[in-house]
Amino acid sequence: MLAPMSWLPEAGPGQDDFERVFALRPDLFAAWREFAGLFWQRRLVDPVLLELCRLRIAQLHGAAHPLSLRTPEARAAGLDEAKIARLAEWWKQPGFSDLERAGLRFAEQFVTDAKGMSDEEARPVVAALGDAGTVAFVEALAIFDGASRFCRMLDVQPVETT
Amino acid sequence: MSAPRVRPPRGSGSDPIAGSALGHQPETLTAFLKLYGTLWSHGVLDQASKELARLRNARIVDCTICKSIRFAGAREEGLSEAVVDQIRDGYETSALSARQKAVLRWTDTFLSGEPEPDAAQRAEMLAFFTPAELVELTAGLALFMGFSKIAVSLGGMPDSLPVSIQPTPDWPPAGGAPPER
Repeated sequence: MLAPMSWLPEAGPGQDDFERVFALRPDLFAAWREFAGLFWQRRLVDPVLLELCRLRIAQLHGAAHPLSLRTPEARAAGLDEAKIARLAEWWKQPGFSDLERAGLRFAEQFVTDAKGMSDEEARPVVAALGDAGTVAFVEALAIFDGASRFCRMLDVQPVETT
Repeated sequence: MSAPRVRPPRGSGSDPIAGSALGHQPETLTAFLKLYGTLWSHGVLDQASKELARLRNARIVDCTICKSIRFAGAREEGLSEAVVDQIRDGYETSALSARQKAVLRWTDTFLSGEPEPDAAQRAEMLAFFTPAELVELTAGLALFMGFSKIAVSLGGMPDSLPVSIQPTPDWPPAGGAPPER
């Protein structure tokens, strides 16, 4: 059976559609992966907070590929599918910490109107994460937002499950 | 100027990027500069097309810093201020070429609340660009948008800046070693 594919008429090698699409620009993909991987490898921000924001951004965009992925570092840190199932209505669901709620509020504003970010939205995130943590957090949000939009634009298909 | 939410680290120098709040994360900064330099100077898509997309993004996100910068490589490819002036709302009726307008429409779709091109827009892009060029343009938009949103969300943005022509990002950086990790 052929793997589901983007509408692009060409693809490179890869384990999933995102890899096959991005492999058309292999050196750029390598540099992207190196940057995007640092947030998890170096644990620059709590991986559960990062994963919740990554998945919430993918939900806002309806981006099937990032929604089909789970980051091992977040799972190892205790994020389970039950909590992910509550993410689409996090503001009225139990089980989210104050920092997770502040981070999700910040992430949603970042996606929809970053310039409109208020001090009230930013303050609890900066207070909890500090300067270095806040910089890492917004950098990670940028790559999540960009990757989700990239996937929607090129119709990158979700990871195949067996 | 808006109040900065994160101030640059002490002693971070005067470089506009390394000396900014991004200097709090030197390893991600170095990785970003490598990614950005690869996009701009080791790509398959012409620099003027990427610059069109970057400047359209800068206007929509309203990043003062991004709006003020012009990269030298695109300028050398003919992206003059007369062209830049047409990257405004209403560009459809401007004198820009059909290919340039296609880049701007692609950028607008990418930045919209529903970033999904229809079949006609896909076909138009494939008529102007190879699949590898399209991947590069779309990944570039992810970075342009991301950098702009990082800048505006961290605060400290001046209200206006004069236009400034900057060297095209490259990796390793032209004329010097990359920053130490």
